[in-house]
Amino acid sequence: MLELKDVHTYYGNIHALKGISLTVNDGEIVTLIGSNGAGKSTTLRTIQGLNKPRSGSVVLDGVELHKLPAHQIAVMGVAQSPEGRMIFPRMTVLENLEMGAYVRKDRSTFNDDLEHVFKLFPRLKERINQKGGTLSGGEQQMLAMGRALMAKPKILLLDEPSMGLAPLLVELIFDIIQEINKEGTTVLLVEQNALMALSIAHRGYVLQTGEIILSDDAQSLKNNEMVKKSYLGVE
Amino acid sequence: MKYIRSGITFGLIGGALTLLFGGWSVAVIGSLMGIGLGLALGGSFERKDPLKIAATVLPSALVAAVILVALSFYQNSVVQEAIGKRPFAANLALNANLIGFFGSVLFAAFVAAIHGLPQNQERAIKIALLATLVVLFPFIDKLTALRWTAQIIFALIFVILGLGLNIVVGYAGLLDLGYAAFFAIGAYTTGILSSPQHGIFLNFWLVIWIAAAMAAVWGLMLGAPTLPLRGDYLAIVTLGFGEIVPVLFKNLTDVTIKEPLTCWILPGLMNLFGAQTTMSCITLVEHEDLTAGDKGISPIGRPSLPIISPNEAVGLALVVKVVVLVLIVGLIGYYLFRAISSKQYKRVAGLAAGLLAAIVFFIPLPHPEKGFMATFMAVIQPGEFKSNDPTTWYFLIIAIILLSIFVIQRLRDSRLGRAWMAIREDELAAAQMGIDPVRTKLAAFAMGATFSGFAGAFYAAYIAGIFPSVFDFSTSIIILCVVILGGIGNINGVIVGGLAIMTADRLFLPALKDFLSSLLTHTILPSISDPVVQLAVKDNANPILYRFLLFGLTLVIMMAVRPEGLIPNAQVRAEMHGEEATAEKAKA
Repeated sequence: MLELKDVHTYYGNIHALKGISLTVNDGEIVTLIGSNGAGKSTTLRTIQGLNKPRSGSVVLDGVELHKLPAHQIAVMGVAQSPEGRMIFPRMTVLENLEMGAYVRKDRSTFNDDLEHVFKLFPRLKERINQKGGTLSGGEQQMLAMGRALMAKPKILLLDEPSMGLAPLLVELIFDIIQEINKEGTTVLLVEQNALMALSIAHRGYVLQTGEIILSDDAQSLKNNEMVKKSYLGVE
Repeated sequence: MKYIRSGITFGLIGGALTLLFGGWSVAVIGSLMGIGLGLALGGSFERKDPLKIAATVLPSALVAAVILVALSFYQNSVVQEAIGKRPFAANLALNANLIGFFGSVLFAAFVAAIHGLPQNQERAIKIALLATLVVLFPFIDKLTALRWTAQIIFALIFVILGLGLNIVVGYAGLLDLGYAAFFAIGAYTTGILSSPQHGIFLNFWLVIWIAAAMAAVWGLMLGAPTLPLRGDYLAIVTLGFGEIVPVLFKNLTDVTIKEPLTCWILPGLMNLFGAQTTMSCITLVEHEDLTAGDKGISPIGRPSLPIISPNEAVGLALVVKVVVLVLIVGLIGYYLFRAISSKQYKRVAGLAAGLLAAIVFFIPLPHPEKGFMATFMAVIQPGEFKSNDPTTWYFLIIAIILLSIFVIQRLRDSRLGRAWMAIREDELAAAQMGIDPVRTKLAAFAMGATFSGFAGAFYAAYIAGIFPSVFDFSTSIIILCVVILGGIGNINGVIVGGLAIMTADRLFLPALKDFLSSLLTHTILPSISDPVVQLAVKDNANPILYRFLLFGLTLVIMMAVRPEGLIPNAQVRAEMHGEEATAEKAKA
């Protein structure tokens, strides 16, 4: 479904992605794990068109995303809950969710989708008229995910959904990710919390300084000695 | 007690103004002061018993009225004398003061009492009251011989400019420091297309649309290469554009346009091959004075009413007018039809009134008969808008403002409006939502420019002459201040801001100048023996000299005391006073 082939991305002169190739199949949860600065977020930004790859290709269902500007990539069915959440702080929860549905032309199912998002995140319904900027961190994360879901994406990119959240909330968020996936949305998940990520994902890639050093199904990665030592903190 | 205090404050402000203006002004100022007092006090009451609210407000309204009338009588008896003017006849003064007294008390009590009604009724009554005031204002102004309408029209021009800039700055969050450039383009388009400068005399009702379109096109042309820039960089580019446009208009006095193929390219090629060129060069325009430089373009054609006049039966003008009429009536008719079919009877009434107004406005009327309708008919009398009677101009600009507000509200609530707000909040996140940042920002620039095009066309026709110096940097800044002072992102705020700044500039300062100079002439000046000092005192006691100083001072104070503007946008207020609000919540 989504395929990256030998993608090189630069920030100015800094070579951030050194030939990333990965595939995400329909209906999967795929996770990218790796330490700080490994290029996980850059990979998502490259898929989303916020950074342009200098060489290589990003293809979603036959459409070459790397040739499109960011706003058209959103139209093609890629939605992201970005790092730092990037919700619209002065818009209400409802307005934020409406912005999520901006790319969609059909108005008829809007209310159903809204109900669906509220079913996944009941907390958002309680705060429907509150300004986005006044929500707590966990609520903002929920809003960012709900907003991405409102676009009815083919593939949902999640960047560090557990960052800065209480452990209980992290569990909840990961349960919801699994639920979203069961409903048929493909998920590409970037996570520092490798243990959590690998326990819900089907497959995983390990990134180190801009390169993929390992790729396997999630269970094998979890049992891999190197991964255990470097990312799961098991001696 | 705190109500009494606001009563005293309002009474003193109103009284001070009557000291300046004198004459019948006490009646008008009293009524306006009453409305202001009612609005200021009414908000603090619970929404239940209107009569009780009126009774509570009454003492402070009486205090305000007494102060006002006392100062007014003092003005008429002592001050007029002191500044060497003839006092107002006693019976007239009594009448004016009685109207002022009862006007202020009744309006204060009534407007405050409205706050006791349910919200939708309060809104309806307030709108009705506002509409009545707006419609009656020029007639009252004429009756009381205050001559404020002509100055209010300038304020209203800046209201339109503020509304347009508010789209760019308030909705899309792009800082535009050269907005007067679009105002200039609208005005000069009008000047070039309907003046003896080029012998073109297009009809105003057509030119105003061309001017708006021209401004929009220039908005796009400026925006296209620069809008990928962000924040400060964009502000600098708009600043540059704002400087270039007036200079350009100033210097387009000798324009020659040659057709490039025959004049340069072909002869050049032939020279290259060594052939002799005897080819004639096609010159499109030669030594044409496009804008008349510093002299400016004048006179500029005025609009005429009704749009189809009986003595104009042939020609292009008639065709244009018929097309405009059909468009307007058709548009209103379409909405009327939709409102009827969806059974929205409130809208039906509004649109029917609009349709009637359009027909009255555009269809030729018989000459007014003397009698009952004479005063009203004089306003919509067939013929040109006159330079000595601002009333028709006043209603024209009110119509333009209403149209602008309608369009801007629809834009704000549309898909495009939402995209603007998303861009303002976070451009990157907006792009992730599928919003094209460049196109959205271009749309904001073009829409903003359109409204300044309307304002420019009206301004050019109203003044009947345009000069490049009007459109300099300070004008851009004043428009920006209208938006910021009034309340960025809020239509009502921008209207109040425009009226406040421009009436202070156009009404208050000149009145203060007259007052001071006559006061000085009759008090201090004769006692100064040295003629040099005498002259210096006389020249420097002119507050108009200090208008930018006063203006800057107001800005500094406003930004320190109320940074969110007079009537803020709810979102901006939440941002600026977020901590206080949560603190209050915690207390409660």
